[in-house]
This record gives sequence, C-alpha cells and structure tokens, in this order.
Amino acid sequence: MAKRSHGSLSASARKERRQLNIMTLPAVIWYGLFCYLPLFGIAFAFKDFTPVPGRSLFENLFINSPWVGLRNFSYLFRNPLSRSVILNTLFYNSIFIVAGIVVSVSLAILLSEVHQKKFRALVQMTLVLPYFISWVVIAYCVYAFLSTDLGLINHILTALGADPVQWYQSPESWRGILIVLEIWKTTGYTMIIYLCSITNIDRTLYEAAALDGATFLQRVRFITLPQLRPTIATLFILSIGSIMSSDFGLFYQVPMDSGALQEVTQTLDVYVYKSLMYEANFSYSSAAAFLQSSVGCILLVISNIITRRIDKDSALI
Amino acid sequence: MRSILKRVAAAAIAAITPIVLLSGCDKSEEYGKDVMRLRWVTYGMSVPADVKKIVKAANDYSAEKIGVVVDLEIQQSEVINLIMASWEYYDMVYTCEWLNPFNTNAAKGLYYDITDLIETETPDLYRIIGDYWEAGELNGRIYGVPTLKDMGAEMMFRFNADYYEGEKGMVIPEFMRFEDLEPYLEVYKKDFPAKYPMAMSKGGIAGFFFSLESVVGSLIVIPYNRETPEIIPIWEDEEIMDRLRLLHKWYTLGYINPDASALELSALPDDMPVRFGVAWRGYSGYSNPADWGFNVKTSIYDGPYISKNTEQGAMTAICAGCDEEHAKAALRYIELLNTDRKFRDIFAYGIEGEHYRYLNNGTVLRTQDGIDRYHVSLYPFGSVVNASVESVSEDYLSDPDQWAKVFDGYEKYGIYSGSEGFVYDRTRKEDIVTTVTAIWSNYSTDLSTGTSDPDVIMPKMKAEMESAGLNELLDDIRSQFAGHLESIS
Repeated sequence: MAKRSHGSLSASARKERRQLNIMTLPAVIWYGLFCYLPLFGIAFAFKDFTPVPGRSLFENLFINSPWVGLRNFSYLFRNPLSRSVILNTLFYNSIFIVAGIVVSVSLAILLSEVHQKKFRALVQMTLVLPYFISWVVIAYCVYAFLSTDLGLINHILTALGADPVQWYQSPESWRGILIVLEIWKTTGYTMIIYLCSITNIDRTLYEAAALDGATFLQRVRFITLPQLRPTIATLFILSIGSIMSSDFGLFYQVPMDSGALQEVTQTLDVYVYKSLMYEANFSYSSAAAFLQSSVGCILLVISNIITRRIDKDSALI
Repeated sequence: MRSILKRVAAAAIAAITPIVLLSGCDKSEEYGKDVMRLRWVTYGMSVPADVKKIVKAANDYSAEKIGVVVDLEIQQSEVINLIMASWEYYDMVYTCEWLNPFNTNAAKGLYYDITDLIETETPDLYRIIGDYWEAGELNGRIYGVPTLKDMGAEMMFRFNADYYEGEKGMVIPEFMRFEDLEPYLEVYKKDFPAKYPMAMSKGGIAGFFFSLESVVGSLIVIPYNRETPEIIPIWEDEEIMDRLRLLHKWYTLGYINPDASALELSALPDDMPVRFGVAWRGYSGYSNPADWGFNVKTSIYDGPYISKNTEQGAMTAICAGCDEEHAKAALRYIELLNTDRKFRDIFAYGIEGEHYRYLNNGTVLRTQDGIDRYHVSLYPFGSVVNASVESVSEDYLSDPDQWAKVFDGYEKYGIYSGSEGFVYDRTRKEDIVTTVTAIWSNYSTDLSTGTSDPDVIMPKMKAEMESAGLNELLDDIRSQFAGHLESIS
C-alpha cells in the first residue's frame, strides 16, 4: 500500500519529499548520536562500575564491572529526607507547570491586545530578558536584596522600624521566593510561544465575535483559549516529562546552599549533587538519572493518554 | 556534484596531513626515540601563563639526566576525579586523602602496585621517603609515593599585628588556646561595631576539624587525645563540641558575619584582623605585609596532629594500566624530583633569573614575572622538602633549613594517631556513606560558621543519620578497625 502510494507520487513531489528528508537529516543524526546511542549507559545504573585504566569503555562496563541489581538506587531512599526531597521536586514542578501556563497565557493574551508596536516590543523584550540571565548572576542579585546586614530589603525594614530578617536562615520565606523567581525568569520565554499561537488565530473569528457584541472576556473564553488548547496541551505534556528534574541553578545557587534552607530547597538534582560531589560515582548518578527519566517518561505517557481521551487533537501521540 | 565533493575532500586531506605529521614530529622526535614521554596529571586551581616554558626547561633537564620527559596537565579536582572515573590513560597522577581519594581508588585497583619496584629501581627514593611509605600503603602493598612536605596538621591564628600589638598594646603569643581568641575579637568589635573581626565564608575556619582523624569525612572520626583509639561520630567529641559552641556564641555576639554560611570565599573583606591557617612552625607565607597591607603575626593554637590521614596530604600514583617500562620511568622521574634540588626548583619556582632568584642565605625570592606568570603551590609537583625554601621578601627571610626543624618538631611535639594507619574500606556500606555524607553537608556549613547552635543541630542530624543507617555503618567501621588492630598486633 505504502509502495503504491509512493509510486503514485509525481516526480516533483518525490523530489520535494527527498529534500525534506535531507533537511531532517542533521536532527536525526543529532538525536541518534546524542540521545539514542548513549542509551547503553543505562547499564551504569545496574553495575558496580570498576574500570581498569587504559581498557575500552565497553570492556570496562560490560566485562569488568559486575551487575548489582538495584543496589545503586538504595542511597536515594536511605535518607529520611528522601521523601521531602521527592515531594519538593514534585511540588515545585507542579506549581511551575500550572503557574507557567496561567501566567504565560494571561500575559500573552494581554499583550496580544496591545496594538502599539513599540510598547509591545518593549514589554516583550523586558519579559524575555530574564530567561537569558544565568542563575549564578541572579543568585548574587538576590543576595543584594536579601543579605542580612547589607541587603536592600533589610535596610527598608530597619528604616520602617522593623527587625532585620536573616533570610538565608528563614526557610518559611523561600518557597515563595523560588516560585516567584522561576516564574519571573521563564514566563517571558513561554509567553512568546503562546503569543505566536494567538497571532495565528484567524482574525475573522474575533471580528465576527465583535460584531455579535462579545466582550473581551467572552472573546478570550470562546475563541482564544479553545484555539490555544493544542499548544497548551503540548507544552503541558512535555513539561510533565521532566517533572522529576529540577533547575539546579535555582535550587542550589540561588539559596547559596544554605544549610537552614535545605528542607524547602533540596530537590532530587541537588540531593544527588550533594551526595556525589566528592566522588565521581557514575553508577549512582546514572541510577538517579534513570529514575528521573523513567518517572518522567511514565507520567508523560499517562498525561498523553488522558489528554487524548479529553481532546484527541491535543495529544502528542 | 561528485567531482566537487572529491575536490573538497582532497583539499581537506591536503590541509590536515601536514598538521598531523608536524604535530607528530613535535612529540616523538624532540628528545630522540630513547626518551620516554609520560603523561603527568596534577592538581591546580588554574594554569599559570608560563607553564609551557617551565615544562620545556624541566624536560630538557630530565631528558638528559634520566631519559624521561613529561606532558604536564594541571587540572582542577573535578577533572581529575573524572579522569579517574572514566578509565582515561595517564602515567602519573596527583592523589591525596581529599582529591582523587587515594584509599578508595587504590582499593579499586586504579593504581600500579610499585612495592616490588621501588627498592630496586629507585633506591634513593626508597631511602628518602623512609617511614612515610606507610602513607602510600594499602593492605601491605604500596600504590603511591608520599610527597614529603608538612606531614602534620598545625593550626594557627593570623593576626593583624599592627592593630593588636601596635594600637591596642595586646600581646600575640607564639602559642594560644582556641578560646583565648575571644578578647581579640571583643576589642575589635568594640572599635568597629559594624565590622566582623572573624568574618568568614561558607568554608568556615581552615583546618577546623583537623584536630580529629578523619574516617568518613569530618563526620566519623578518631580523636587523637584518647588513650585507647576509638571510632566515634563527631558529636561524641566534647572538645570539638565546645569549640562549635564557642563559635556559635561568637556568631551571636556579632564577631562572625551573619551570612557566613551563604558566602563564597571571594566575598570576604581584605582588612580582617583575624584569619586562620594550617601550616608549620617557621612558615612565613602568611607574613608578607605587602600581601595584606599590615604586619601579620601567627599564633599556633593546635597540633601538630600526625596520622596516616595527614601524611596523605599529597602523593603521586602511577596508573594501573601502565606497562612496567612506563612505571619504572615514572618512578625515576619522582626520584629525581625528590633528590635533585635544581630540577625540583624548576617546577616550584620556574626559570632562574626570570621567575625567581636565589638570595644569599640560600632561599628563593620570586620575581614579579614569577608572581604574575608562574605562581604555583609546591605540593602538587612532588617533594616540597627537596625544593629551596621561599622567602616572602628580602626583609623577611625564611630559614633555609626549616624542614629539618619542622620534622624535628614532629618528633618532639607531634600528637600521633593511635589508629595505626587504619583505612576504612567503605565498599560494603557505600550507600550509607553517601547518604550520611549528604546529610552532614546539609548541616556542616552552619555548624562550622557558628550560624547554628550545635546543641540544637547535632541531635537533629544524629536522628536523621541514625534512620539512614549510621549505627550499621559505625558497627562495620568498628569491626574493621578491631580487625586492623588485631592484624598488626
């Protein structure tokens, strides 16, 4: 059947298809080399990796290193804080996913209503700019605000007659700080994606709605949001895939690894780093990565199934 | 289309071939075929600008003397750990207790067993290292060559002498106790209420936990001062607990900066009146007024503590994947670093006349070019004792024979460990070690900067560690320790 349909293509269509295939080649090669080929490295997670210097990787991994089952995973669950580490990771990612969608979509809708080009460009640039600032730089900017004796906020508090706060010793404030910072940094970037989708919505729908006397909120509810649904679903499903991973810069650099804040700032990536920072234990780090990827993959598939049941067109596969 | 591709390929090959051939010439023919070339990976935070020039000078010298030259790589700790974990080939590598951890990696079989070679191939090296070979031993075999340097841990305060002795008329004695520091902090805080006399970063006090012999980091230790050596978690040592309480008291009094546990080293002010150091009696590296803007005087408050741990402060190991010829060449090279002062001074200070010069008393003074373009620590490059002693200026001359006095001091004042060279094999409990280490890292910064009250934090940390399997780990360490003591008695 496929052969016949291929055979029925005209010469120009075949040429076009060939050109498209060639265009995809760099991406296919890239994924093959950097995503599929290294998959054999999953074996690290189930091996006691004991390399002999000067021997090949395959010999070291598959011959010199014994299989140890799930032993490399045990350090992830021995810590009594493991539960809170995993909950922190899930909590922050859930908030980031929901807030990311709500804030980005809202901003994109508001910005799409701005018709003054220069102002729109200015707002767009201002919102996207934080995305390109490194967490290390942001960490020191935050320190300039939160330093106990030199920070701006404590200067203001003192001027108002209040006691200064030791921010880096106050875990209760940090959930909010981290959430605000993440939204501030990433919202602009995702907003651009939604803004592009809104720009692609057929303008005649809005004109017809305006003629019928629809208010702004009605236009958003009955035109913009339904039209944005596939984009929202795609980004949602993709972010579910990395729900067990976290931005190391946000959770390690910004709180400056302050011990008192660990209960609220320690996510799985930070825990793995802190556990293994003194030794390059490939097996343990592979076990953590495997766990993150597996959970992410399972959740991604589940969320895709749920999305498909709700709206077939919005699902990824 | 094909002919264009062929032409492009031909042009590329034509361009690459001479480069490949010439780069081959550079390495294999420079010193002749009989000269053995070794890859030497050592530790350094940065690569000095003139390192190529220094390696060339060293290679010219060693090629003639012993027929061995090196490709030197100065790498940061993460890179060395990665080289080791990824089975990369090298010939000689820097190893110690805290980087590229010797005991763990020797147990994994990553280093060449040099036991049968050293005495026959390098008799001078064998003789010079003497009793310190114990540091390079594991299960009765030798896998590393200890670097002769300060072999004990001696902790000291570094005072602004102009302020304390000059302005305040206080005496800075040669020796103090840790708690004797308080009046010095108090007087500075009174004079400068907005400043912190003991400002520190998250690294805390240099060498703060060195008064305990490490078994698992600073967490599970063997105290030096007990009649019978004992494996304990850190909170069971009252002396260190008292110091932690004192630190917390100083923190609450405002002697330590409030965000110490969050600050990186670079954020500290230059005019701090009290700093800390780990060195040896007679060390003058802290004393150059040009470095600080005031005269500095040191006062020793603890040590020297001597154990296998402190003796493993710097070592060189040979790759297990080496053939015997390369291993022998590497040993000859290490021997030259230990026996030939002229050769050793090249790696220590650079090229004579350009990077340093000799003073009349036999010590070395770096030139400005030396300070700017080749200023390295001595210990990553082999024997420190065999290098000339550095003076910080012509006015502050060091004792050229300081090492004889330092080692003599170890004999007279050394506080020796009773652990008899015990090394814990963590293989069976590695997951627990990893977990308790992660828990310790959550609290250690707050403790060692005085930020947290140890009487509040320690019980909390203890509970977390116990539920992570600490007691199981302690039992394992104690049973290995008992076995070790039994085997040597």
